Amino acid sequence: MDTVLTVTGLGKSFKNKKVIEDITFEVKKGEIMAVLGPNGAGKSTTIRNIMGIMYPDEGTVHFHGCQPGDIPRHKIGYLPEERGLYKNVKVMDMILYLAELKDYPLKKAKQRALDYLKRLGLEGKGNVSVEELSKGMGQKVQFIGSIIHEPELLILDEPFSGLDPVSQEVFKTEIQNLANNGTAILLSSHQMNMVEQVCDRLFMINRGKKVIYGTLEDVKNQYANFKCTIRGKNDLQVLESIPQVQRVENREEAAVLYLEPDIQPAAWLHTLPETLAIQELSIDRISLHEIFIDVATDNHSQLLIEKGEGVYA
Amino acid sequence: MRNSWKVARWEIRRNLKNKSFLISLISTPIIFMLFAFVPSFFNKESNEKVTVNVLDEIGVYEQIVQIATENEANWNVLRTDANESEFPKLVKEHEHTAYIALTQEGLENGTIHVYMSKDINDRFLLETRVLQEPLRQQQLAQLELTDKQIAVVGKGIQVEAVSSGEEAATGPGNTDRMKHLIPGVVAGMVLFSIVMTGMMIFTSASQEKKEKVAEIVLSSVTTTELMQGKIIGYFVLGITQVTVWMLFLIPIALWKMDFPLLEYLLVPEMLVLLFIALTGYLLFAAIFVSIGATVEDMTSTSNFQGIIMMIPFFPIAFLGPLLNDANGLIAKVLTFVPITAPSVLLFRLAQLEQWPWMEIIISIAVLILSIWLAMKAAGKIFKIGILMYGKNATPKEIWKWMWT
Repeated sequence: MDTVLTVTGLGKSFKNKKVIEDITFEVKKGEIMAVLGPNGAGKSTTIRNIMGIMYPDEGTVHFHGCQPGDIPRHKIGYLPEERGLYKNVKVMDMILYLAELKDYPLKKAKQRALDYLKRLGLEGKGNVSVEELSKGMGQKVQFIGSIIHEPELLILDEPFSGLDPVSQEVFKTEIQNLANNGTAILLSSHQMNMVEQVCDRLFMINRGKKVIYGTLEDVKNQYANFKCTIRGKNDLQVLESIPQVQRVENREEAAVLYLEPDIQPAAWLHTLPETLAIQELSIDRISLHEIFIDVATDNHSQLLIEKGEGVYA
Repeated sequence: MRNSWKVARWEIRRNLKNKSFLISLISTPIIFMLFAFVPSFFNKESNEKVTVNVLDEIGVYEQIVQIATENEANWNVLRTDANESEFPKLVKEHEHTAYIALTQEGLENGTIHVYMSKDINDRFLLETRVLQEPLRQQQLAQLELTDKQIAVVGKGIQVEAVSSGEEAATGPGNTDRMKHLIPGVVAGMVLFSIVMTGMMIFTSASQEKKEKVAEIVLSSVTTTELMQGKIIGYFVLGITQVTVWMLFLIPIALWKMDFPLLEYLLVPEMLVLLFIALTGYLLFAAIFVSIGATVEDMTSTSNFQGIIMMIPFFPIAFLGPLLNDANGLIAKVLTFVPITAPSVLLFRLAQLEQWPWMEIIISIAVLILSIWLAMKAAGKIFKIGILMYGKNATPKEIWKWMWT
């Protein structure tokens, strides 16, 4: 896949405090790349520096096909985290203004707007004033505004936040469709389940620094150990004495055993004591959500240190 | 610059589709006209002819009828044979009626009694002053003076100011005063209108920040382009407003007034005055747009920002000295102070018969330099302020941004 955007060594400080540091990643044509991290990790700052809304203190942002330093604004679609639209204008006027700013033909834009309004459940709302829309509807209009000009690169800052589950699904489908049609997508999100479903690669950031970067599969292989969930009443000491168990979370009716990396699940099952009370047993990998929580609470870093690995991948 | 025009077009379209803007656009000249014509309409009501009954014991009735006609007095002059003692009763019985007792005794005492019905206002008394001269002539004639003596005494003494040197010879009359006054007033209206519309930039920038729409717009244009677009857009709206006003007011002024308005307006000096108005707009627009970008919540706008909004009206504080002497020291100093220069310069040029060209050039140079500095500072404040969500900027922060 062709690379559309390359970010190299990006750094930004506010009041002598480094907000982001040495951020390096690429976004490729037709892929969905997710920037993940807890609140205040530096995701929006990274995106604003890419968009030229802020200027980085260090590093470069290179849009391929452009001179270094140039931002091909008309080829980029952007849905900022801070959502907003002019209140006292009609929905269609708002969308067409955003298309005009991107130099997109207005006739074509109007047709696309009507099409997208229909697809996102806003058919017939073109002549409605923006102030009459609900928050979710406004978000959909803003999403249409960000893709109305058929961008080559679409940057979505927290696209799923504030949406109900149905709308989240609609957004997810549209984002996937755009990627399938060749749009490079860079999105940031807290909704790990959504990210897990749509993204091809991810860049996890904490306290302004890279923590994890790679394809979803690689990240899972590398960082998501197996965990075994056993339903049944068992003594904590017995569970902790099982070989290759890193830690145990003992709940009322079930226990979650976090296993060491590199275990062979089938072989490990043979090491379970025969006296163990098992009503149900499942083995699966730690989810992205759990990795995210680990990162956000520094468990992940601690784990990597304990394992003798570097803190940052 | 292309992007600035896109933003400008949007601001123009958005406002021209806004009902409140359209209502104010049309209603303002209508309100002006109402102020101008409603009083004269009521005046007409009260302009019913007054029946003036003259008791003529001194033989001036014909002269009075002639003078009333010549002075276009709204009188219906009649001769009366009633006695003066009956006049109070008669005015009670008749509306819009006056009785004037031109008696020998009155002429000798120098006091003429006028009796008016209650519905006649005091303006009528002023109108009767036209009777003073013929009555004075009559008074003198009875003293058996020669015609020459009557003419000299009747003329009285008048005090008249005479300018020295060439100016006295070619001393400007009322017409020449109008030559600068009319374009000056119109340019002042243009400045007032575009500055008032310019204040909408403040609201627009503040609203953009409050409604968090700035970031999505800034993904397509730079902060400078957004700021320029707003300044251009609201300038066009201001000019549109003035044009609509003029389209209403000029034809009516031509119809109601008795002087060639267009001849006064279509003069080269008008261009200089309009240029000054434009510089004034640009200076204040830079201030408004930058301050607008620092305020999110209009209701909690600090006193500091409120004071900034008062800047264009600052010269009103000096209205007294300016009216007293348009060429005085205060007027000259204010001509070179950036925030007062546009309005004070227009005010002075409208009043002065001879324009001080050197002062005009220096003042415009000061204005252009100030605009450049204000735009630079506004650009810096706008760039940071417009994306700072959740709070209003403090003066300290704004000061810091200006020097980043």
